Amino acid sequence: MVLKIFFPQCCNMADSGLLVGRWLPGQESAVVLAVIHYPFIPGQVKRYLSDLQRESQVELSVLGSWSMPKEGQEGMESFLRDLSTIFPQGRWLQLSREMGKRAFNCQVVQRDMGAPPSAEDENCNGNGKGGGVILIHYDQRKVMLSQLHPTEGGAGGGDSATGAEPSQLRLVFQTVAQSQPLFFIDKYDDSPLKLTHWQSEGREASILVELAKQASVPLCLLLTWLLSLWTWLCSSRILNLWPVRFVSSKFSTCVQLSYRAEHLQTVSSPRKASDHREFMRKANIFVSFFVDVALGLLLISWLYRENRIGRLADTLVPVADHVAKELQELLQWLMGAPAGLKMNRALDQVLGRFFLYHIHLWISYIHLMSPFIERILWYVGLCACLGLTFALSVLSDIVALLTFHIYCFYVYGARLYCLKIYGLSALWRLFRGKKWNVLRQRVDSCSYDLDQLFIGTLLFTILLFLLPTTALYYLVFTLLRLVVVLFQGLIHLSVDFINSFPLFATVLRLCRPYRLSEGVKFRVLCEESGKPLHLMMEINPLRYSSVLQLYRTPTYSCYPKDSWMALCRKLFVGELVYPWRHKSTKTD
Amino acid sequence: MGADSGPGAPSAVPWRKVLYERQPFPDNYVDRRFLEELRHNVGVRQYRYWPVVREASLVAQQLSCVAVFLTLWWYMYEGQLSPFMLLLAGLMSALLGYALYEALGGSTDGRRTRLADLQSAAIFLAFTFGFSPVLKTLTESVSTDTVYAMSAMMLLAHLVTFPYTQPSPPGSLSLNAALFGSVCLASRLPGALHTFAMLTCALLVFALWPCLLRRLRDRAEWGFPWAAALVSVGGVCGLASQSPGGALLLALALLVLILLCPLLLLWLQRHKNNIHGPWDEAEIREDLSRFLQ
Repeated sequence: MVLKIFFPQCCNMADSGLLVGRWLPGQESAVVLAVIHYPFIPGQVKRYLSDLQRESQVELSVLGSWSMPKEGQEGMESFLRDLSTIFPQGRWLQLSREMGKRAFNCQVVQRDMGAPPSAEDENCNGNGKGGGVILIHYDQRKVMLSQLHPTEGGAGGGDSATGAEPSQLRLVFQTVAQSQPLFFIDKYDDSPLKLTHWQSEGREASILVELAKQASVPLCLLLTWLLSLWTWLCSSRILNLWPVRFVSSKFSTCVQLSYRAEHLQTVSSPRKASDHREFMRKANIFVSFFVDVALGLLLISWLYRENRIGRLADTLVPVADHVAKELQELLQWLMGAPAGLKMNRALDQVLGRFFLYHIHLWISYIHLMSPFIERILWYVGLCACLGLTFALSVLSDIVALLTFHIYCFYVYGARLYCLKIYGLSALWRLFRGKKWNVLRQRVDSCSYDLDQLFIGTLLFTILLFLLPTTALYYLVFTLLRLVVVLFQGLIHLSVDFINSFPLFATVLRLCRPYRLSEGVKFRVLCEESGKPLHLMMEINPLRYSSVLQLYRTPTYSCYPKDSWMALCRKLFVGELVYPWRHKSTKTD
Repeated sequence: MGADSGPGAPSAVPWRKVLYERQPFPDNYVDRRFLEELRHNVGVRQYRYWPVVREASLVAQQLSCVAVFLTLWWYMYEGQLSPFMLLLAGLMSALLGYALYEALGGSTDGRRTRLADLQSAAIFLAFTFGFSPVLKTLTESVSTDTVYAMSAMMLLAHLVTFPYTQPSPPGSLSLNAALFGSVCLASRLPGALHTFAMLTCALLVFALWPCLLRRLRDRAEWGFPWAAALVSVGGVCGLASQSPGGALLLALALLVLILLCPLLLLWLQRHKNNIHGPWDEAEIREDLSRFLQ
């Protein structure tokens, strides 16, 4: 078994002293965390370590000695070796550097309590006798700050070949991260012990952070209070009546509003984030909320200048009018003999007139509305200050409202078509003398009465000959509807993208790649005969795809609910397709 | 079979046809008694000519029924038959047939009451009358040739799938095909009332007549050949009044069906060669009721 020693890079040039760290339980490896410089009083060191142990819950101990030759300090070697009797340990590490050489010397002293220590001296830099020693250098700051993925609970996969390795790596990361209190002592501090370890560059900025933390508490409380007011308003009885709820669940603005309220609730909760996931979630929501609002304000500043709203309103009504005109022409065409198809004339006329009357109603409605449209747009546009997502949702709703006639046509056509398809399939079974057995979910043969057969065949004939007419109307209106659904779906997708994109995690990955790590890789630093192998541990940053996958905020995602095949089947059978998702299918 | 003639087969041990014993024979060995149990034509019925002719007349009369229906439609299409006349004739024959049906039937199967029959008749008439304007415009935009082809296919399907062994109630597919064909044909007629009359006629010919015929065959055996002959002659005569060539073809077809096909059957019967033997699937003859108690 090879002994692995994780050694912090910052201690390379430290003065001679004691190695403080932790033996990883059950592993042949040790993590060196700091070097305590000579001179020190052993009693103080022990007390200090026990204090730290209580604070950080890490079993810190003195691992061994560290010697760095300097002028005028000869004879340290034997002194440091003798220290092992003061700090009784199962194994005593002796690391030493020589002048002008990169590699360290390493000696492991195995010690039984009874036997004299020198008897079992094992010289590890010798000729490969017994197990070797590998010195693994690590960047203490990066390892302390980084979060190893997959996070707790996930099976460690892919980061190493051996099965024991992931847990060992995780232990190293945990040890370094938990012993943060050790690193608080500054080298300028006037404490009885002098240590070398990673040190923060300075704490000037952290004053601002502390101030912001102080300020955020009342802000959070205020936000929570406002949100509770909002939820109380939402849960009032008037808003929970069936029609209101039904309508509001269909407007994407309302959905977005409830969604945003939920997010703010998550962010503003005064509890501290318990684990890394939750912290990242909060941070992501917070950052994307700010970006969203900023974009919304940008949009407003563009929109409310130079009377752009008025111009928009002026173009909106003629466009709606134009669409209605085009639809009218389409219906006229359908009422003739479209593309030379053989339609049933009577049914064709009936359907065509029905739809024409609808368009007539629609046009009069638009004209009734036209004087108010500018005012409405002006007020509605204000909600963009809540964020770009709101502006997009409002746009989606406006499109839905302005193409309501198309939706109506589609529903009529689809219902009629659906009725025909189901009727035909049932009557086709009757035609062959079969029936659908509901209990056994299969087609059984059945003997029908004479009158059932007669009426069934009559209806079958009628439905069969009327099917092409209905199908054509259905096809045309479905195509129109699909165009609208496609547009709305694109808007919903972009809203969903803004809502769920893990902006914070992505920026973190971009600027501080070591913060989100997926594993480590080792680089050979120096390999000299007679010296232990020196490896450099570097952190593998998490891939961007995994960042997106892990930290995506769960939403009512509006990706198409069903596959393309299912969509085609639905369209063929005549079931209604919607751009929105039902709330019950929320993905978590 | 190669194992059978193996010269080196040890004949000391007699071969037994069992699989549960190890024997010094190959698995596929059979001895000389192999074909002793072969039997030919077990349970073959020997037909006689006239009973077969009698049964074949059912097929012939069904063919004639289609001919009669087509003749009536032709008359209506040409305008030589008014729908009132057809309705009146249909009503008369329906009443007559119903009386005959009741007279023959007795009350052996008292499932359907007269009220239920009346109800069914009311439903037929009401639906047909209500839908006849719709049916009239149904195939307007479809070309006439398509309609003819479709009805021809449907009537052929009716003839093919008709349950000749058990003509009452007529099988679903055959009745539905006939009705579909007649709806297609009726929608080509000039008026809604014509359509109505034609569909009533189709109902009589394709749905109710097989019921009466079945009753006739069960209860009054002597009357069945006469009825079949009457329908056949009626079909041929009706067709002759519109197209003599068609009538000739129909008559020929009927003669072949009634006289030649039974002869062919009897002649082919002599060549029948079914073999049975111990290799057949097992057939459980034993009375199992004692196990089921």
